[in-house]
Amino acid sequence: MPTLTIDNQIITVAEGASVLDAAVALGIVVPHFCYHHTLGAIGACRQCAVTILEGSQKGLKMSCLIAVEDGMVVSTCEEESVAFRGQVSEWLMTNHPHDCPVCDEGGECQLQEMTIGAGHGIRRYRGNKRTYTNQDLGPFITQEMNRCIQCYRCVRTYKDYCGGEDFGVMGSQQRVFFGRFKDGPLESDFSGNLIDFCPTGVFTDRANRFRTRSWDLQQAPSICPHCSLGCSTFPGGRYQELQRVRSGGNRLTNDSFICDRARFGSDWNNHPKRPREARISGEKVEFSYALELLEERLEKLVEEYGGEALRLLGSPRASFEANLLLKNLAEKYGAPAPYYDAHPRRAFAARMAASIPSGQLASLKQLRDSDLILMVGVDPLAEAPVLALALRQAARAGTRIVALDPRPLELPCDFEHHPLTQESLLRGLSAPEENELLESLRQQLEASQRPVLVGGGELLGGEGLRLLLHFSESCCGSHDCLIFPVLHGPNSFGGGILGATGDSNRNLIEDLENGNVRALICVETDPAIEHSEPGRMQLALSRLEFLAVFDHLPTNTVATADIFLPTRTIYECAGTFINNEGRMQAFDPVLEPGIPIVVTGSGGHPPRQFETTPPGSAPRSAVHLLQWLLKDRNDLFGLRRQIVKELPCLRDLDRLEAGDNGRRIADCGDKLEESRTEIWAQEGELQVLPITARYGSDLYSRWSQSLTSRFEEPSVWIHPVEAAERGFVNGQKVVLRTVVGHFHLPLVFKAKMARGRLIVPCLPGTPLEVFTPGGLSLPCKIYSEVDNA
Amino acid sequence: MKKLLLKKEIDAFRKKAQKLEHPREMVIDLLRAIQDHFGWVPDAGVELAADILGVPPIEVEEVATFYDKIYRQKVGRYPIHICDSICCWTRGGEEIAAHLQQQLGIKLGQTTPDGLFTLLPTCCLGGCGRAPSIMVGKRFYGHLTCDGLDQIIARLREEAVG
Repeated sequence: MPTLTIDNQIITVAEGASVLDAAVALGIVVPHFCYHHTLGAIGACRQCAVTILEGSQKGLKMSCLIAVEDGMVVSTCEEESVAFRGQVSEWLMTNHPHDCPVCDEGGECQLQEMTIGAGHGIRRYRGNKRTYTNQDLGPFITQEMNRCIQCYRCVRTYKDYCGGEDFGVMGSQQRVFFGRFKDGPLESDFSGNLIDFCPTGVFTDRANRFRTRSWDLQQAPSICPHCSLGCSTFPGGRYQELQRVRSGGNRLTNDSFICDRARFGSDWNNHPKRPREARISGEKVEFSYALELLEERLEKLVEEYGGEALRLLGSPRASFEANLLLKNLAEKYGAPAPYYDAHPRRAFAARMAASIPSGQLASLKQLRDSDLILMVGVDPLAEAPVLALALRQAARAGTRIVALDPRPLELPCDFEHHPLTQESLLRGLSAPEENELLESLRQQLEASQRPVLVGGGELLGGEGLRLLLHFSESCCGSHDCLIFPVLHGPNSFGGGILGATGDSNRNLIEDLENGNVRALICVETDPAIEHSEPGRMQLALSRLEFLAVFDHLPTNTVATADIFLPTRTIYECAGTFINNEGRMQAFDPVLEPGIPIVVTGSGGHPPRQFETTPPGSAPRSAVHLLQWLLKDRNDLFGLRRQIVKELPCLRDLDRLEAGDNGRRIADCGDKLEESRTEIWAQEGELQVLPITARYGSDLYSRWSQSLTSRFEEPSVWIHPVEAAERGFVNGQKVVLRTVVGHFHLPLVFKAKMARGRLIVPCLPGTPLEVFTPGGLSLPCKIYSEVDNA
Repeated sequence: MKKLLLKKEIDAFRKKAQKLEHPREMVIDLLRAIQDHFGWVPDAGVELAADILGVPPIEVEEVATFYDKIYRQKVGRYPIHICDSICCWTRGGEEIAAHLQQQLGIKLGQTTPDGLFTLLPTCCLGGCGRAPSIMVGKRFYGHLTCDGLDQIIARLREEAVG
């Protein structure tokens, strides 16, 4: 590794690094705009000039383009390079408006910092500046082109890295314009990254325009709760209102990018109907009273009927600590071990994923560096959007991507798609040697250097993931074939670890239906939405003697709970999530809970009531509630140390810090030998498969009002050939009859989906919300509306 | 109503695009063909080109707006590009530009009310040896004088009537 000297400081860096990388590593500021470690160097902005004193190329050079050499001597403060950088800055500033006081980027603007850093403080240019007409880019992003410095980072982010197709650079010379062909919302699912990547205020967050200065924000490193990938985020809020989410920077997971669902789907935290007060049978009560009453009723119940009469339900949304404490609570009351996902098939998938040896799990970084990727039963843009970005980076480096999935997949890169039904996929995996396609793929995976198998827990279920694990073992050539399981929620994997020790043949709904169970405690979950049969679950819940719910979303189950205790969201407390590859990642609180001042003050001064606590500040973290019931006085660190003692595979848990790269779990030891028989429908029977929609299927998106503009219209999808055989035309109104009800829907043709199946995206606020993704396909019948009448 | 392209031309372009590994290499040919027919390239022309080439419209727009000889706004029947680069400037380019503006009664960037002429400045026509120069449509004129210019304009006016 080459060793070089920059400004009299010596550093050794990796081969191939640039002089700029080395300077950054030393903490030396070299102003730059176009360079970003994820986008690479193009030497366009001419801002990072340094003087090379010793080396094969001497003189004034762009530090982002010069690779380090052993014995190189570099100076960033030679008079010539300082003057050069100052001059470049002055050129850039000739057209940049002096509107920092009204610009949302002000205070966190790279252009401000670099201009001052380059030594250009006083403008000499007094002429007219070039001006543009801005475009309307939709509800998320505001464009202010006059501020543009033509660094091209936006197109490199939007088109090159994220694969968007509706944004580009037009014109030439002084007329260069970055935008769309015509006004309209940006179509990419990663459009929000423009806000982070623009070094100045051309693209800013529309919803938060003119609301908060960056230095007034309360911010803390956090983890995105929308899917199982656990992307690092950096949310910020003010006056008890969560205002924005920016990308964090974990190079092992999401690098510097997040999806639009993560960025713009955070206002569920400020939802006007968010339950913020404890309730008993729907009546508001004091928090402490409700908690004491809960304890009293639990003790009475256990005394009368024994622990068997109590069930506990954790959640992939709740922190790992909360789920673990729930297990302790079960032990205290002698109740059976808790369930960690209301959906039994998803829970099994999580247990299966958690049983994969840690060394065989791939990170997103390993996926980006892979040389052959086989995706089985995953729709990245719906289930784990940043996975699609990682696939694109692999594809850009020449990696072949093969997808086996019944859905009409779309990805921001080239890939091979084999539209197989869910059942034929599972059947194929159960005997891969008999399946020509899988056998040939197996050989190719075996011959690859860094192959990765991506498996979707929703479509494959635990049984499918088990078969996939066997398949991966048969693909291990000279190298391991890594697995990247995609699960349902941010802590599904954590639930899987905890659930593996319980008796896996139990079933929550059967427990509730057989009448012996009298009470249920739900922690941050709504079984009536998340269970595979919501109607049946709702009925079962109504028969309970008492239902206690700890949650922060305005669900129906919260409204019907006998005892409800409001919890803090992940933005209001600290905790840990374990993502789909077994990476433990901590998050810190951003805000204190409370009704946003913008609501209590209706836009003006907050009400002049004199109370010791702000309105709506009752919620406690689920961890706090459970610790109270357990009489556990540990702080979070003490709790984590206790967990490490109990579960040695989580040995690094007490060393986590929010904002770090997280730490992988160690092997949990016992391999799960759990298997469940699933009855897979035969080919030829018409079945309907409920799937995760791109927006709205996860509970947080469901309650994010800002995302509603991206929700699809409800429809049922069919392969055109299948439709032609039955005499249907595209767009026709049909009636879909299933066990969960019948639906009047438009029929939409999708040429890239599997034959013999219908597909419905599960959309909240529409009749289709009764479907839950994550199960097997259901028998159905389809008629045209006319025939039905 | 003028058409963007004739149906048979569209079919020919589509056929050719299918054979090419990178159909977008035809983008200039297509834009010029549309311009020859329609006089300039409206938004619908960009969308048609994108459809034929199988690329998003923005990728056609990026090329169309880069070149100043592709007109994305309505121009007169004879768009006149006046070179304002250094060689023409040393040989009286400014007088040529002033004379044309005066004769036609319009400023640079404008079109005569009869829809015949549009004046456009351009940075170099590659005819430095024959400076000062202009280009009318695709025709190049060099070694210009004010008298010579008047004759050219008169001839074009006649051509338009005839």
